[in-house]
Amino acid sequence: MLFKNDQAARAQHQAVRENAGWYRWTHDLVEVTGGDAERFLDRLFVGAITKIPAGRSKYTTMLNEEGRIIDDTIVMHMDQDRYWVSTLYAPQFLRWAERHRSGYDISCADITAQVDMYAVQGPKSLAVMDAMLDRPADGLKRFAMMDAVLDSAAVKIHRSGFTGELGYEVYCRIEDTKAVEASIRRACDAAGAPELTILEVYVRSLPVEKGFALRQDMYGLTPYECGLDWSVNLEKDFIGRDALVNAREEGPRYQLVGLEYLAESYEDIAQREIVYRYGVPCGFVRAAIYGYTVEKNIGFAVIEADKAVLGEQVTVGENASPAVITEKNWL
Amino acid sequence: MALLDKLESSKCVETVWGKLIPEKEAYQYAVRQIAAFCANLFQVMRILEPDFEKRTSAICEISYMMNMSASSDLYMQEFFNEWNIPEFCKRDAWLGGIFGDSGDEYENMAGRVIQFTHDRVEKELDTCPWDIVGAELCNMTTAMFTANFDLNSPNGENEVALNMCEARGCGDCHCRVVAERRDVYNLPKQGWLDHMNQPADPVHDTPPERRVKAGQILRNGCYSQAFGEEKSFTWAYRWCMEKGWVWCVAFPLIAIRDMAESDEEFERIFKIVFATAGKNAFIEPFAVEGMRSWLGVPHDIGSNDPRLMGGYIKAVLDTQLVPCFLERFTKEEVVIRVDTETFNGRFPMAPVDELTTGYEVLWHNMVKTMVSAEWSCWFTGKDDEYMDIHIGRKVDKRMV
Repeated sequence: MLFKNDQAARAQHQAVRENAGWYRWTHDLVEVTGGDAERFLDRLFVGAITKIPAGRSKYTTMLNEEGRIIDDTIVMHMDQDRYWVSTLYAPQFLRWAERHRSGYDISCADITAQVDMYAVQGPKSLAVMDAMLDRPADGLKRFAMMDAVLDSAAVKIHRSGFTGELGYEVYCRIEDTKAVEASIRRACDAAGAPELTILEVYVRSLPVEKGFALRQDMYGLTPYECGLDWSVNLEKDFIGRDALVNAREEGPRYQLVGLEYLAESYEDIAQREIVYRYGVPCGFVRAAIYGYTVEKNIGFAVIEADKAVLGEQVTVGENASPAVITEKNWL
Repeated sequence: MALLDKLESSKCVETVWGKLIPEKEAYQYAVRQIAAFCANLFQVMRILEPDFEKRTSAICEISYMMNMSASSDLYMQEFFNEWNIPEFCKRDAWLGGIFGDSGDEYENMAGRVIQFTHDRVEKELDTCPWDIVGAELCNMTTAMFTANFDLNSPNGENEVALNMCEARGCGDCHCRVVAERRDVYNLPKQGWLDHMNQPADPVHDTPPERRVKAGQILRNGCYSQAFGEEKSFTWAYRWCMEKGWVWCVAFPLIAIRDMAESDEEFERIFKIVFATAGKNAFIEPFAVEGMRSWLGVPHDIGSNDPRLMGGYIKAVLDTQLVPCFLERFTKEEVVIRVDTETFNGRFPMAPVDELTTGYEVLWHNMVKTMVSAEWSCWFTGKDDEYMDIHIGRKVDKRMV
């Protein structure tokens, strides 16, 4: 939980909004290789994997046969017939891949333990990167990767992140992680960019203000119910496509919306707290956090589609915490 | 909710007389029953060992050891995978905090993780069904937390100072556990009785209007934490009925038995304590009236009828998820047949024979005040596959 008066969290949050900050966070990484890797991933994901050139990446969701989201990932095209899937749920991804791999020449491996990742995020993150890498990252486009050397360690730079700011991810071999971390720390210290040590600042407070949800927020919904219409490519086949087409025709059952909490704090709001409209349950909370840029308690909720009216006041939980339904993006 | 609409969508315990106890109410009742059994057991401990420090240290040590040995590497790895705890968490230090939070909520200890950072975790509870047991248990939970942290440490020793700076079992409004990294806060390694101190950093006290009365699984039908995994109420109920007995009864029992000079002494005191608890449970006439209402006992079941006790025991077993069925249910006798291994071994790794002894003595004395002194309760077939719980008339010139 984050509170308005938490000065440490505020400082870390604002560093990323105004300058830069860094943290280590190894997502789970699954490497998919083989002659059918591209075709296989294209079958698993709603986005067109075939359109990702080597050295680029794409955000996309993975659906079950009912057209409901079971994971959201970044798929990184490393080189010919080799992809990394950045997921928070590698064991689950591997089980799903195993279930659907028949007829595809592929192999999947959880390489999380072999690869480490550091994120440098914030409007001045490019200056930090340029100060520590052997080559400038100026030309690197969003969702693009480049190879570089950091203090004699080979690293892969990925322009991406989860804060809604300009940002870069630095991938390195686990053997090099101490040296890489030391270099990043030095460069960031020189730029006045702190290490982010508070999980909820970079997993919730910063992303939620920008409308970035986690898989857990969207699990079981369709991409349409989450406002991810843009990510769906119905021109190709993928698992859950037919059900998704039907769901689109039938219209959404739920909507992932924003909630602004009107009370001073939200200690009584858990991640599945029930949302009431005129005292009648109409959905449930998915996230609640303090946003230090917007200076509000904010979050996401899943609300029955016909009740998801912007500006409507609702209450949350057993203490009837007042809240207002909003767009799920505050900045 | 319309009967026709939702006839089969909600689970409940049906009493002998057809009264329905909703699943959530049954769960709350069962959790408090476990806590009450634990409270009786701790009275036994206080008789056997008058010194607070000695008995508290003893149960802390055994709970730590048992928790360490019960949690295999594979068990912990599965937990790590299932909960998607990212690497940055420094699992050696902080997995224990997450582990503890889920256990609290499964057992209806309602609260919140106030802070979760590299250097400090603060957990605050507004309720605790075990708040009737006493300070020894509060101390003992810190030993179990220590094991949770040590289990995930590469060198077998955690790096945090762990303090339960407030405890409802000690009369505080909240339970509050704070883990602070020793190197950051310059804190010493702690002994078993050093875990009730104030933390280095100030705590966050949730205002009264934001506190909660029930855990997530009751409020929302599931437990969910920051890493997004969810456990349903039904899953948590079963978990609690298995593991709830282990930490607060099975583990301390090992140390408490050792406090007695002999097995005979332990059993003598154990039976006296549980007998007293049983006799007092229904001494107030309105307690019987309340029970009749709760179970839906019809008026034609009189005040001197063994079915009162039988219906009560059946409800206790049903809420505790112990399979059982009625063999006899007349105004002359009641026999409830129960699977012996299930009754004693709710958690297969740690069967507790004292559950049989405790409940037999408890119910034998309870029936004296709930129904009348003419009635007794006894178990047969304790060593067989099925055990029978009898309620019948018995005359014993040395009855105690």
